[in-house]
Amino acid sequence: MLDRTANSLQQRLLESERLMGETGCYDGITELRLRKEDPLKFETLHTKLRAYCVSAREMARRISASPGVREVGEMVVAIYTPEGDAIALSNGIMVHVHTMSRFIKWMIRNGYEQNPGIRDGDIFANNDAFIGTVQVPDVMDVVPIFFEGTLVGWAGAVCHELESGGITPGGDVCLAQERFTEGLFVCAEKIGENDEIRRDYVIRCERNLRMPIYWVLDEKAKVAACIDMRESVKQLIGEIGLGYWQQLSKEYIEEGRRAQLARTRQLTVPGIYRGHTFYGHVTEGKPGFQPLADPNWLYNIPIEMEITSEGKIRLDFDGTQPWGYHSMNCTPAGMDGGMFVTLTQHMNFEGLVNDGAWMATEINIPHGTWTNPDNEMAATATSWALLLPAYGVFQRLLSRGFIARGFVEEAFVGQVNSPMIEMGGTSQYGSGFGMAHFECAAAGSGALAIKDGLDTAYVGWNPESDMGNIEIWEQNMPMVYIGRSIVPNSGGAGKYRGGCAFISTWLINKTDHLRLVTSEHSSRVFDNGGMCGGYPAPTCEKHHAVRNSDIFERAERRQPLAHGPGTDPLVSDFERTYEGEQVWEEGPYITRPHKAGDIFSHAYNGGGGFGDVLERDPIKTAWDVENGFLTREAAGKVFGIILEEDADGYPQADIDATVARRAEMREERLKRAIPVSEWIAKESERVRTSDFAPEVAKMYRSAMKLSPRFAKDFKEFWGLASDFAIAGEK
Amino acid sequence: MTGYSKEVINDLVNGTLPWPQTRRIMSAYKDDDRFFKYLAVLQDRVSWSDPILLPVGDHLFICDSAEGRITRCECGHSFGDYRKNWKLKALINVRNTEESLREIYPNSDIPDPSWMEIREFFCPNCAHLHEVEAAAPGYPIVHDFEPDLEGFYRDWLGRPLKEVA
Ligand SMILES: [Zn+2]
Repeated sequence: MLDRTANSLQQRLLESERLMGETGCYDGITELRLRKEDPLKFETLHTKLRAYCVSAREMARRISASPGVREVGEMVVAIYTPEGDAIALSNGIMVHVHTMSRFIKWMIRNGYEQNPGIRDGDIFANNDAFIGTVQVPDVMDVVPIFFEGTLVGWAGAVCHELESGGITPGGDVCLAQERFTEGLFVCAEKIGENDEIRRDYVIRCERNLRMPIYWVLDEKAKVAACIDMRESVKQLIGEIGLGYWQQLSKEYIEEGRRAQLARTRQLTVPGIYRGHTFYGHVTEGKPGFQPLADPNWLYNIPIEMEITSEGKIRLDFDGTQPWGYHSMNCTPAGMDGGMFVTLTQHMNFEGLVNDGAWMATEINIPHGTWTNPDNEMAATATSWALLLPAYGVFQRLLSRGFIARGFVEEAFVGQVNSPMIEMGGTSQYGSGFGMAHFECAAAGSGALAIKDGLDTAYVGWNPESDMGNIEIWEQNMPMVYIGRSIVPNSGGAGKYRGGCAFISTWLINKTDHLRLVTSEHSSRVFDNGGMCGGYPAPTCEKHHAVRNSDIFERAERRQPLAHGPGTDPLVSDFERTYEGEQVWEEGPYITRPHKAGDIFSHAYNGGGGFGDVLERDPIKTAWDVENGFLTREAAGKVFGIILEEDADGYPQADIDATVARRAEMREERLKRAIPVSEWIAKESERVRTSDFAPEVAKMYRSAMKLSPRFAKDFKEFWGLASDFAIAGEK
Repeated sequence: MTGYSKEVINDLVNGTLPWPQTRRIMSAYKDDDRFFKYLAVLQDRVSWSDPILLPVGDHLFICDSAEGRITRCECGHSFGDYRKNWKLKALINVRNTEESLREIYPNSDIPDPSWMEIREFFCPNCAHLHEVEAAAPGYPIVHDFEPDLEGFYRDWLGRPLKEVA
């Protein structure tokens, strides 16, 4: 490695990239010299760096006031090279290890060394996704690490804020249609000097947020974590010497890159993998949305993954939809981050985890699509809504490789897109407030290839998923729980079912102005797919609320209450139980404020299933029914499992009857199904005449316009002329 | 180096290995001899003798056969040349009405069939459900996986496949 510490950071970054291009190795590190010299020391020092990160994060979580950070762990910290490449990281929301890398590089490229200057004790913050984060609530802080006057690295920390001061309370602001309504932006700003956050910056936060205590204390927590890591690294350099550190930190990253390539060759099979998912958004007639584009739309997200002979993973989003005047757009930082956090969970389960893994991948995010908008005014406040289903597909593609290779225990149907609820208005204490409720960080996972998915215990962005304690959430909002329960059948059906989600039901309490907003997809499509014959998880559930309910009167009369909307999709238990104005809402919930006595419920999503449902174990199914993970109706109709009751009234599988029923179901399958060739002949007529809902037709027109490859494949598949166009407006 | 018996791999693949043991396998270094043991386990499972070259689904394999390298169901049914999309030779059932979607989702909200349908791909012989696609109407059927079979055996396993005519 060249000692380029004398040169400007900008030159060093360019030189590092040039060396990578020239040698194919990170920073031109073609040989892991220190690792070879003393592998034990090499490993021990990395473990130390990782320990610095983990302990700094744990300490910071205790400074934070936000239940998102304290309870749910919505935080991550990492240590970087001077050029901004991650060397070591903590657990937590690892997606941001790489987005912070982009933030540091952005400052270097934009001449921050000259103005505003990069000095010992400076604190820089950012939450601009086009600079490097995913969405406005993901606020990151970095501090430079100087050793005896030389910049030797960076320490960085990210917290997901529960309130960002956007057009609606919370952070995943679905009403944001341009960046100007997303909330308070901090654009690669120097917010502190001499290890102290500037008073004027704090005042700006206090005056522009609904709940500044979360953001401001998180800011202090992050700075404390960064200083802690900085001092630890300086002490370490004092022990091992500056030259050693400079070589070591680079070797770690190159080792991470090589390990990722080796892991891909070890666990998968080279070739082309394909999959897709969809996203449906419905805003028609909802208050607050500006008429900037069609109110309802359907996005296709096709993904092609190539695993090269070298072991490189190439992801290609060609054929997806344009960015739009909605909050679900994503920036390259978010797309990279999504890939990074998926890799850390699936492939980097041993060895050094750092930015090297990311360097062993490539991603094609076509300019002008939602993955890489060609307009930096685009909003990204809820980009997770598209990121999650997209990277769920990535997990299924990787899993196909794991299954092919025999590592069935690693195959996983993937992360899910799960809705989120945010709120604001007058709190139970009579003060103004705003908060994103983060119990969503514990959805159901997709099934595995050898067992059921995790129930209420997984989300893609944070492998350490946690829903938080009810009591803590109740301290922070004017609602009390009257129910929190498993949603039966919320895991996709299959030999192994997807993990189930839960539903919360609240009684609005001690407020006359509570705005409830949800930031989610509609019920129009499946976005959490299955694999190898497993069915997708159900769509997003509709919302149920009761305004002016008679719950207090019922309680006084000692009558039973409904603690959830129940399992009848056509008539809810709320309708059966409570007097009052019944609300039934699809997609984002944006309505007039609620008040004490109203009831509201919100369901999260489960994951897709794996394998043919007729291979499902009847005994597990009886257990599922007994414990509320599956309805008796679904056990019989979908799984072909005949349940009886044992002497104590518990469900018990009748194995003989089940075998007979399943034989019948297989017969029925063959009777009902037709050869694919026949179906294609019939369906191509529908395509030829563009017999589609307007949103579907529009999706095809947009995809074909943006992607010649999509257009060609589409026309070839259906046997259409090369000048074919979907009918309707151009 | 880590390694497991064929019996352990068999139980792991069948989902019958006790969880604590499975958990240890997940946490341990990976066993580099897994692939061929896995193939042996699968070969024991099928009633036919053509050698399995690569599993591509839960009960779906690429194997050598008299008609060349094909995609084959565990029951023995051939879906033809492995380089072609096996789904095109399958049976399909499309759920694009509320009624037919409701059969699979009896107690949940369901998608709008004009936006989304479910396509079930069955083996024409044994009626096994090999894959489910959830797609917008008119969306081309996906070719899930095109493995670089020759490259895999040659470059990654170091055991090149025999040339085929
Ligand atoms: Zn078959």
